Amino acid sequence: MSALFGPLDPGHRVPPRQQTRVAAFLVSAHGALARQYAFALPARFQSAWQTEMNAQVYREAEIVSLLLRATSWVPDLALGYMAASWEMAWYPAPLEAIPDSSMAMAAGLATLAHAVHAGIRPAALLPVDADADDPFVMALHRIELESSRLLQAQILLLKGPDLLPFRDALSAALERRHSEISRLWDDMLASVGITTVAAE
Amino acid sequence: MPFLAYGSYRIRYELAGSAGAPTYVLVNGLTQYAELWTAYRDALVARNFRVATFDLLGQGASDKPALFIGQDDQLAALHLLIETLGEGPIFLSGISFGGLIALRYAIEHGHRLAGLVPMSCFAELPPQLYLLGNALRTGLILGGTSYLQDLLLPMNVSDQWLKPVLDDLGAVKRQGWLVNDVYALQNLMESFLDFEPLTPSLAAIGVPTMILNGEFDFLTPRALHETLRVKIPDSSLVIIPRAYHAFTLEKPALTADLLARFAEEVLAGRWRGNKAVWIAPEEAGGELIPFPAGYDHLRAIPIQRVTP
Repeated sequence: MSALFGPLDPGHRVPPRQQTRVAAFLVSAHGALARQYAFALPARFQSAWQTEMNAQVYREAEIVSLLLRATSWVPDLALGYMAASWEMAWYPAPLEAIPDSSMAMAAGLATLAHAVHAGIRPAALLPVDADADDPFVMALHRIELESSRLLQAQILLLKGPDLLPFRDALSAALERRHSEISRLWDDMLASVGITTVAAE
Repeated sequence: MPFLAYGSYRIRYELAGSAGAPTYVLVNGLTQYAELWTAYRDALVARNFRVATFDLLGQGASDKPALFIGQDDQLAALHLLIETLGEGPIFLSGISFGGLIALRYAIEHGHRLAGLVPMSCFAELPPQLYLLGNALRTGLILGGTSYLQDLLLPMNVSDQWLKPVLDDLGAVKRQGWLVNDVYALQNLMESFLDFEPLTPSLAAIGVPTMILNGEFDFLTPRALHETLRVKIPDSSLVIIPRAYHAFTLEKPALTADLLARFAEEVLAGRWRGNKAVWIAPEEAGGELIPFPAGYDHLRAIPIQRVTP
């Protein structure tokens, strides 16, 4: 087991099997966020913050598109089972403590998006000698940077005045989401020989 | 790797040296992690101190609360660590953000301390520091941890330190980039949003206090340390020559020597703060010299002090 991708091939690229699993996980997670944000978008905006939601839809879709094209995919029989378990984890979980159902749904989605954008750092798995000009390497750096920008929308909503009365419930739900997503990520990485500090 | 439990969160800490020895507790700055004190641990243990290092909540190998974290939490985590250290003398030192936490600890739990060493520290957020802090936060949000490191490096260390590593900055930044997460750093920075100045409470710090300030520190300049010197009764200010904000990284041998000498003076009953201003030697072991009488230590040019 290693804490990073590898061993790299002679061209300093990440092995295709590791690329496939990691990209599949990220496509599943960001694809789910794109879908859920798309469904949550009203046909006509009523508030300024909904413009940010629109941006989230397209940036998530861009991440999926990027991975589909930048990854060296190989056949992987275990992916079907793994993807099914991931998709179940992304299932919408409105915050029960919030009486307004649309706000409960928005807060639940924000906890999932926060956990994905904040907790998943694919570029941190790259060894120093990974080829910086390789599309997969570039894609992971781009996704990590873009995630920290997308995260700002979740932070604004979750720390904002609308959700202040539900701070304890929100905090507990968010920590739960982080643990859940982090466990899935660690398990997936362990399946391709990568161990994270959290999983040790 | 040992951990303390703070509620549902884990605080990673390390102890080195004999259990019965006087203890130095060292508190990290914003983007730091406990391993950066390794040279201090070795130097202080060799001088018969015990050394406790740890990662603040949201840093390094300690847990990173997802959203809500306040400076009270950091204070409580530090208190938890100090409570595990027994009854022997405790010297507390912290740099920058860690210095602020150390100041707050000394205000609230000063009876537990034998001495305090705030470094590159501040008790207030005057406009320049407030705006710099905001700009650093925006840099973090827009450019990630790597960009924040790019902004901090030239503030933290000198040209002499940077020049040999300029072609390999990626390697210098890598560990800090790996162990710091954007959301966790942002939470730490946003813990200043409700910051209240500590200045009115500084007089409550009754323990011997040595304030360390880099000569060229423009992130937390001399005036911010002057507030500490004037308000903390048994204090003195020591200016580290040719040093910037993170002189603990650039001058570990000198700084560790100053920490050890301060504690030895206190333990021997020889320490007198007298609100004096000193200039540290260039190298470990050298003599401290008093700031020239009559000159203004708040100026960058040799202007004679105007007595009000």
